[in-house]
Amino acid sequence: MNESYKIISSSILFWFSQKKWFVYSILVSIFLLNLSTPIGLSVPAYHSLIILVLVFMLVTFEPIPFPAIALLTLVLQVVLEVAPPDQVASSFMNDAVLFVMGSLMFAIAIVHQGLDIRLARSIVFIFGKSKRMFLAGLMSISAILSSFLGEHTVIAIMLPIGLSVIKNIDTQQTDGKNAVLITLFSIAYGTIIGSIGTPSGGARNVIMINYLQEFSNVHIDYWKWMKHAYPILIIQLIVAYFVLQFAFPSSLKNIKMRGYKKNVENRSVKKDINHLFSCLIIIAIIASWFTFNDIYGLGIIALGGALTFMIFGMITWEEINKNTNWGVILLFAATISLGFQINETGASSWLVIKFNELLNSLPSNSMNVSWSIMAILSGLTANFFTSSATVSLIGPMAIELHPTDISFALSSAIASGFSFLTVISSPTAMIIYSTGLVSTKVFFRVGILMFIISILILYLMSQFYWVTL
Amino acid sequence: MKILIAIGGKEFSKPTLDLGMKIANSFKSSTTIAYVGKKISQFSEKDVSVVHQNLDDRQLYRPGIRTLEWAYDFLISKKYIEETDTNKFDDYLLVDEENSRMKVLLKEQYSDNIDLIMRTGEIIEQLKDEVEANKHDITIIGGGGNKGIHNKLIQFIDSAVFVVKNYSVSKKYKILLPVNDSKGSEKAIDTAINFAKSYKLTVEIVAVYENKKSHEKTDKLLLRTKNKFLKNKINASTKILEGSTVNAIVDHAKDDSIIILGVSPKNPIMKYFFGSKPISIAQKCNCPVLITK
Repeated sequence: MNESYKIISSSILFWFSQKKWFVYSILVSIFLLNLSTPIGLSVPAYHSLIILVLVFMLVTFEPIPFPAIALLTLVLQVVLEVAPPDQVASSFMNDAVLFVMGSLMFAIAIVHQGLDIRLARSIVFIFGKSKRMFLAGLMSISAILSSFLGEHTVIAIMLPIGLSVIKNIDTQQTDGKNAVLITLFSIAYGTIIGSIGTPSGGARNVIMINYLQEFSNVHIDYWKWMKHAYPILIIQLIVAYFVLQFAFPSSLKNIKMRGYKKNVENRSVKKDINHLFSCLIIIAIIASWFTFNDIYGLGIIALGGALTFMIFGMITWEEINKNTNWGVILLFAATISLGFQINETGASSWLVIKFNELLNSLPSNSMNVSWSIMAILSGLTANFFTSSATVSLIGPMAIELHPTDISFALSSAIASGFSFLTVISSPTAMIIYSTGLVSTKVFFRVGILMFIISILILYLMSQFYWVTL
Repeated sequence: MKILIAIGGKEFSKPTLDLGMKIANSFKSSTTIAYVGKKISQFSEKDVSVVHQNLDDRQLYRPGIRTLEWAYDFLISKKYIEETDTNKFDDYLLVDEENSRMKVLLKEQYSDNIDLIMRTGEIIEQLKDEVEANKHDITIIGGGGNKGIHNKLIQFIDSAVFVVKNYSVSKKYKILLPVNDSKGSEKAIDTAINFAKSYKLTVEIVAVYENKKSHEKTDKLLLRTKNKFLKNKINASTKILEGSTVNAIVDHAKDDSIIILGVSPKNPIMKYFFGSKPISIAQKCNCPVLITK
């Protein structure tokens, strides 16, 4: 057989084996495009839903880079006549996208300052009386910080602390293995749970606030979100503490709380000033989110934080540029743009009508059933598709279910933050998994319990607490 | 000659590492020991990278380094590397290269060169990249785990692939060399001669009567191959097998066989969708298999 033919066919096959989900996604889209448009749905609305299916498949299986998916989403919106180019362009950039960009840059700037050493010392000082108190402290501090600064910032700061206290533990014995797992899970669950607490805890929260403002003209400020979400966070934290004690029973005798002692002693005046200044910037940014978010928006304030660090020479642009995930920013911008078109074209209304028709066919149809399906669907989708992308695509439907009742939209956004099931669901889960100390099976086994309890807590709070606000 | 040894979990990689280093020493080849870390979702890859940099700064091992350290200790325990005060793993130098590749260069005792490297991503893609970039001649991988990985390696990697299945250091092995008149088989014969010479192994050359009309041609091939081995002063015997090629060879192979096969001359597209005889043999038999290219 001709050698060049063999090389070419082998290269094509390798490309296919790596990109087969891209080929399948395109084939599914072509198949759907050739079907007749469903009754009650306009052609642009139908096309927007086909792009939604395509994006779901491409983001789930990642056969092509995220920036390519983002560009494809924009191109298809125009080519398939979902919206004119100007409309697509204008929906591509908004405060939620600026927030994603700003919070990623801000996170890199904070992590760069090396605050973990100081934080470790504080945690040992406050919670160092016993090892169980120390773990509870790790979890609570992770949650509080994550609620304001976001998961990716906090896990990057807290993981070195966690790894330093468990670094000499022998994982061959069950007691040692459980001590390692309970430490890592305390940080991970604290970080994940914390991210629901305030709008700045996760991009999904900001995306939902933006959607509510645009689609229902309902405004939720920083305080209002906290009043709804923070009590859930506190209850979840208490539950998570006991779930982890139950899942990973350990004497904790090998945990060395002073694992950071050596590093803490290597202090310098310059570092101290840097840390002090970093803390002031962080406090100023959080205070601005509380007080000025109505005027400036959360995104601009987050960008302001990154900008301050750069202006004062505490981080270089090169460092920020190297570590910022521009692909994710582009992808979120594109999915938010698609979310807007799904709403504008009436596709979300059509889906909600179909959803309600399905509910009517059930023997017991009530608000509770539709709430439960929506919350569980949001939570499950987020676990396989990541939370922010889920909210940007499912958010319009959640709002459309009950446009005037914010509990549906809030529940959808909060349930999307329950990333307890899979390691791909959030940066925290992926980072913990990447240590090689936590398997996907263990993550799922403990996570399923946390997921079910969290949905229950959310339900009870939305029924009995939110109505009092 | 350049050899790539792919390692995964510690307990399963011992035989792979041991056999790989023995081959490397026999051929005096340069060796790369590669650990391929799990693929990170694009959503989190930058976050993971920032955290790993942070772990490096705090002198906390980044994931994968523990496996490489274990491999390093194993090489020392088997005296493939001589540990000195200057090349302790504690003082390792991680060189961050492009395309998710990190390298730890070590001094060694017997081979020309041993590199410990760490890659992150989809295993086939990473090993293919490694082989293409560094022109490795043999890729050695453990026999456990997903069988699809072996198929894809054989299909896509531009080097010979050695699947180390059920290997025991204490066993005395012999080479089982199935032959036919293909170009791939000729390459397998040359490789088997090199192996048999280096290890002083006996060789059993086998051929399968696929259809009963063409015995004469097969008999001649067996005799010609045996003579090649005898010329090189290698103890060789021949055997005729009957039945379907794959089943006959799999049934004939014992635990102490190392099967050396040539790659199939079949169209790559047919191989991808319907497999090939070497791939089926590598999948079904319970002993080490080397597929030459």
